[in-house]
Amino acid sequence: MNHKHHEKADDGEIRSWKKRLIGSWILTIPIALLMLLERIFDVALLPMPYAIILILLLGFPVIFIFGWGTIRGGLRGLFTFYFNMDSLIALGTLVAYITGILSFTNIVQDYSGVAAMIMAFFTTGKYVEAKARGKAGQEIRKLLELGAKKARIIRNNKEFEIPIEELNKGDIVLIKPGEKIPTDGIVIKGESSVDESMVTGESLPIEKTKGSTVVGATINQDGVLYVKATKIGKDTFLAHIIELVEEAQGSKIPIQKLADKITSVFVPSILVLAVITFAAWFFFSKDLSRSIAVSVAVLVIACPCALGLATPTALMVSSGMGAKKGILIRKGEAIQTMKEVKIIVFDKTGTITKGKPEVTDIKILDKQSEKEFLEDAASLEHLSEHPIAKAIVLKTGMKTYKKVKGFKTLRGRGLEGNIGKDAFLIGNQTLMKERKVPIERIFSFIEQCEEEGKTTMVLAKNKKVLGAIAVADAVKEESREAITYLNKKGYKTVMLTGDNERTARAIAQQVDIKEIRANVLPEEKVKIVEELQKEAMVAFIGDGINDAPAIKQSNVGIAMGTGTDIAIEAGDIVLTHGSLQGAVQAMNLSKATFIKIKQNLFWAFAYNVIAIPLAVSGLLHPVVAEIAMALSSITVVSNANLLRRKKI
Amino acid sequence: MKKLKLSIEGMHCSSCALNVEKSLKKVRGIKTASVSLMLKKGTIEAEENLSLEDVKKAVAKLGYKVTKIEE
Repeated sequence: MNHKHHEKADDGEIRSWKKRLIGSWILTIPIALLMLLERIFDVALLPMPYAIILILLLGFPVIFIFGWGTIRGGLRGLFTFYFNMDSLIALGTLVAYITGILSFTNIVQDYSGVAAMIMAFFTTGKYVEAKARGKAGQEIRKLLELGAKKARIIRNNKEFEIPIEELNKGDIVLIKPGEKIPTDGIVIKGESSVDESMVTGESLPIEKTKGSTVVGATINQDGVLYVKATKIGKDTFLAHIIELVEEAQGSKIPIQKLADKITSVFVPSILVLAVITFAAWFFFSKDLSRSIAVSVAVLVIACPCALGLATPTALMVSSGMGAKKGILIRKGEAIQTMKEVKIIVFDKTGTITKGKPEVTDIKILDKQSEKEFLEDAASLEHLSEHPIAKAIVLKTGMKTYKKVKGFKTLRGRGLEGNIGKDAFLIGNQTLMKERKVPIERIFSFIEQCEEEGKTTMVLAKNKKVLGAIAVADAVKEESREAITYLNKKGYKTVMLTGDNERTARAIAQQVDIKEIRANVLPEEKVKIVEELQKEAMVAFIGDGINDAPAIKQSNVGIAMGTGTDIAIEAGDIVLTHGSLQGAVQAMNLSKATFIKIKQNLFWAFAYNVIAIPLAVSGLLHPVVAEIAMALSSITVVSNANLLRRKKI
Repeated sequence: MKKLKLSIEGMHCSSCALNVEKSLKKVRGIKTASVSLMLKKGTIEAEENLSLEDVKKAVAKLGYKVTKIEE
């Protein structure tokens, strides 16, 4: 990917406007002086025809050299019927310039100086606007350039520095202290802490040792790391983030649609209005010069640009602010929908909790050996991918397992299988009830664990309970604070979990969640979201992997990234690090952005609604009209930049 | 269906971007088009047999230039 291109294109635009601006003013200032002296102080430096000739000569390069891009684009727009704002400026300046030539015939007054001034102010406005737009995109540009340019690889025990494009998957990369990690990979040797804030928004450095995954474009701090590249180019975490951010810029926010509709009929409407204004003025005043001046003012005051910039600039600033904190707004629409959301649904595992369950208690009935009990449990569980199963296997620390026949996963309930001649079951109470395994003897243990928010798995052999294992998934530190905040803001918070009622309630209490839905099977999540949607708009927060359908079904889907995998296709908003604080920030950012967009659109509309009638009524000099126009789009872009002041 | 990203040079106002979008939508084979003035980029979804020449022409017709097409 060649991200450099962006910056060049942007800087190039600013530089090109600057050149035109300087050139225009060098020639326009003398014109302005001539005009001022003559019109206001009544001092004519040159006799009349010579003054006009001089103004025409000075004005020519302003319009046809420095302003050529605008004139050409505008005329092309007029002839192809793809009108743009240049069409208005081109027509306005050309008409004014031609009056200068026609003035020799004495039918009109000379406005050619006005033409040069309009172009000079237009260029100035565009320059300032391009700069402000550049500022609006500064964070995003930084993100685009974040990728490392070079990598130091080890081949045949020698170090080579190669351009990043030549890096291959599987290459061993050496990263010294203070250097940027060139690509995503896995540490094979060395120890260090890595600052990942620029990519994930996580502010504290993260310890990396052998086996840790590292993310490209993060900064290695104090140790030397040897990393095997696992992802390169377009597949890296950073490339995904960039893709998400870029995609968002192209997405349309519903509120912008009206503005876009107006923009698309705006220029032709103004052209018609200018003609009508000219005809009416000429009809009533019989003053050709005045009629021309008024209609030129109408042409140059109308500004579709402010309308068109209102949303994209705010969105750009907002995306940049979000990206810095690890919040990726993927669909612009979410910004508008967010303010309607009343219900927030959280998936429990991996969202509220860490998603890494650990075995906390083991209860074995009768006189069995703990070793045999755990061996049986682990032999069954190691065949499952479920996080709880993994926790149990991890606890036993076993390397070889007993042979299991007839293994079956019982979704949402547990597992079954035969070891030797014995039929084993491991799972929750529902499963035991279903298979008519009496659990009275272990019930008090189960109850107690559940009160503490733990999940228990009962192991049964030939329909007789052997014991139970309790697993706890710790709550993330920030969960409670985030959820309390949301409750205070008046949202209804709901937690979904596959756990039973008692465990769910215990967790809910820990994090201040008001409503729970327990015993939820994965495929039921969508239904619950649908149900809640009958009440109000719903935001769903999940880890994006198992929850993709529910995230899609909800009005605003927030996918929490875990480590280096982000579920790109799932959420409207994607959080690169799994903290619920990020979700809160995303909501606040969305709201602040939407308010900004509304403000911008209001100003843009209000400007045109007030300015155009003023121009039609002849109250504004064409140059004043042009200045007002330039200011209106600058105001909109600068206002979007002010979004940065908002604490989220 | 395939998704293409276009880098477009020369756009400097929002009506320009809207015009490019309109012009792209008229190209045979293009299903959706969205153009961002801020990024100077367009994204199109189009049928497999889309002619890139047509895409370039649709943009050039308005006085802008496609500098890069990425999958």
